[in-house]
Amino acid sequence: MRTRLWLELSAFVVLAAVVVLLPRFVSDFRARELAIVGMYFIALLGLSVLTGFSGQISLGNGAFMAIGGYTTAILSVDGFYGHQVRDLWTIPIAGVVAGIAGLVVGLPALRLSGLYLALITFGIAVSFPQLPKEFDHFFGGTTGKILNLAKPPFGLSTTANNWIYYLTWGIALVLLVAAWLLVRGKTGRAFKAIRDSEVAAVSSGISLGRYKTLAFGISAFYAGVAGSLYAIANAYVNPDVFPIILSVYLVVGLAVGGLDSLFGMIAGAALIYFLQNHADTVARWLNHLPALSLDPQKPGIPSVVFGIVLIAVMVLLPTGVGGLVRRLFGPLTTRLYTRS
Amino acid sequence: MRVFVVCAAVAVMAVASAGARPVATPGVSSDEIHIGSSVPLSGEAAIAGNVARGIDAYFKYVNDKGGVLGRKLTYTYLDDGYDPGRAVNNTIRLIQQEQVFAVFSSLGTNNNLAVRKLLNDAKVPQLYVSSGATTFGRDYKKYPWTIGYIPPYSEEGEIYGRYVVKNIKKAKIAVLYQNDDYGRDLLAGMKRGLGKKAKSIVASVGYDPTSSDVQPQVTQLKASKANVLMVFAFGKFSLQAFNAVSRLGWKPQIFVNDVSSAASLMAIVPQKAANGSISIVFGKDPASPQWANDKGVKLFQSILRKYGNGASSRDLKDGYFTAGMATAYTLVNTLKKAGKNLTRQSLMNAATHLTERGNPFVLPGIVIHTTPTSRFPITQVRLQRWSKGAWRTFGPLVSAKPG
Repeated sequence: MRTRLWLELSAFVVLAAVVVLLPRFVSDFRARELAIVGMYFIALLGLSVLTGFSGQISLGNGAFMAIGGYTTAILSVDGFYGHQVRDLWTIPIAGVVAGIAGLVVGLPALRLSGLYLALITFGIAVSFPQLPKEFDHFFGGTTGKILNLAKPPFGLSTTANNWIYYLTWGIALVLLVAAWLLVRGKTGRAFKAIRDSEVAAVSSGISLGRYKTLAFGISAFYAGVAGSLYAIANAYVNPDVFPIILSVYLVVGLAVGGLDSLFGMIAGAALIYFLQNHADTVARWLNHLPALSLDPQKPGIPSVVFGIVLIAVMVLLPTGVGGLVRRLFGPLTTRLYTRS
Repeated sequence: MRVFVVCAAVAVMAVASAGARPVATPGVSSDEIHIGSSVPLSGEAAIAGNVARGIDAYFKYVNDKGGVLGRKLTYTYLDDGYDPGRAVNNTIRLIQQEQVFAVFSSLGTNNNLAVRKLLNDAKVPQLYVSSGATTFGRDYKKYPWTIGYIPPYSEEGEIYGRYVVKNIKKAKIAVLYQNDDYGRDLLAGMKRGLGKKAKSIVASVGYDPTSSDVQPQVTQLKASKANVLMVFAFGKFSLQAFNAVSRLGWKPQIFVNDVSSAASLMAIVPQKAANGSISIVFGKDPASPQWANDKGVKLFQSILRKYGNGASSRDLKDGYFTAGMATAYTLVNTLKKAGKNLTRQSLMNAATHLTERGNPFVLPGIVIHTTPTSRFPITQVRLQRWSKGAWRTFGPLVSAKPG
């Protein structure tokens, strides 16, 4: 167990060092792209706690991102009782608002599980975009809300992209550690017990209601923070910024990352960003294969590329990137014969 | 807990150590002009991405003929899946990474709204946006780097209203509209066009763009015993509306808004309902026999065959491609007018002092005209009627100029 702890700690240090140094080696715009990967990463961390550790499926975390994004937009554009809130301070508020929404959604989770729970959460993903349209005076309708462009605060001399990058990854690292401490501790053990067998968990004195709701609240908090950052980075929200497919992409990222591998979520986040925005590059790679010629500039082809890559990844890595890492480092951390 | 503190410290240090980088330069050199767009190539609106393929083919054709005043056009178009968030990301990529000279003909009202402030702050031209929202032509004082292209939806609605007043006696109008800015703009414009006759609207029913079927709404509208039906619906909803009208055995005079009037769509709805439908038009429809021998459409087809990167025979009849070429033609003229000493400022200046006659891809007689205070390039349209499986124009050019 000690070896594993050390491995994880050194992985974290390496990650933090990479995060700090990376912008020096890539272009300004790449820093922005990496920032968006960081936002997906934050959302995936929350989803990993919910699905990977406590075993509850959510197809609705895109809606929690939307709640976070809208909270930030409303607070920084319309303000709170006429006082506009600086975008930076709206981030924790957005997390909390989304977290509360998550706790509420967590309630039906007490009675439902598996497919039925997935359907309920999918219903949330589908119905949430209707709210801004219905109450358009407050939410800005389909036209949405335009935020001020992100600027580095406190007189920092850096580009907007670098600022968003460091802001996002700073928060991501903190939230990664928070999630890691959580799943290592008592709460994490309770989550895992519930995931593996609800009956066994209850008979060991674990309150199902409390922990299942909590898991939803946490994952929604993470999604809310991610959505808030996404709104700041794009300086725009409307219902289409958080489409239904976003929730599905998050589940895709979760599977690619490897359900209960917090570090693996980085791979999942990178994949969902990359496949959405660089399908043309991927198509060019795929064209090296025999008998394939995809024109990435034709309507419809980007979606095809997304599908092909996803199938390939899941065939090659059925347990995700996390599973692969575990296979590689597993021999270092597990003893075949334990002395008692 | 200690790890937590260390981590927070790392994050703070990371923020503090962020370094400055040089600013982007506009994408124009002695032999190249770089233009960019963000369009949907995936998602529900993917088919509209053919606009960009039309532009691309036209630019290649212009390059083969020597380019614009000796400069070749480079064109980068990125997929946004019709998601404004991704449109923002694409636009930032176009400015910063691809270093384009101008952003041109990006598609969608909200997608353009989302990047308007960003482009104006960076003083990058947002040219000829593919959206009929009035704001892109109207709010030039606040957004001097933005200009529209197609006639505003509200004016389109007004034309239908005026037509009804003039030509249909005892009209009782039913309206099916998409319940967002686009549908509401059309509805409001039509009411204005009806003027005192606005009372003749006997029913108007909105539908949500995420709903699955508009048959219930059409049934409701039929119950109002109207003899005119306005279909201010997009894509599949428009198709469903025609189907429902036919199934219910209703025979109103149908008006269908321009963006849903593609011949490919009209050809697959029940012709019993579609025949006699009226819409507006400003581009030449490559699918209509009316233009089969037209020089402009022939030019379009020859360009697309040669430079269309494997365009299919169906593409040769696709109006999205002609729409793209029409805008590309105007852009090339604008660039020529801006002259050899090309700057973003001189480009905007040219775009707001435009008088373009004889664009081969729009209807004969349409003059594309702008001034610094009138930024609606196309403000002339004609009416067209669907019969025998094709659109045919009728009547003179009418004005769609915002008042």
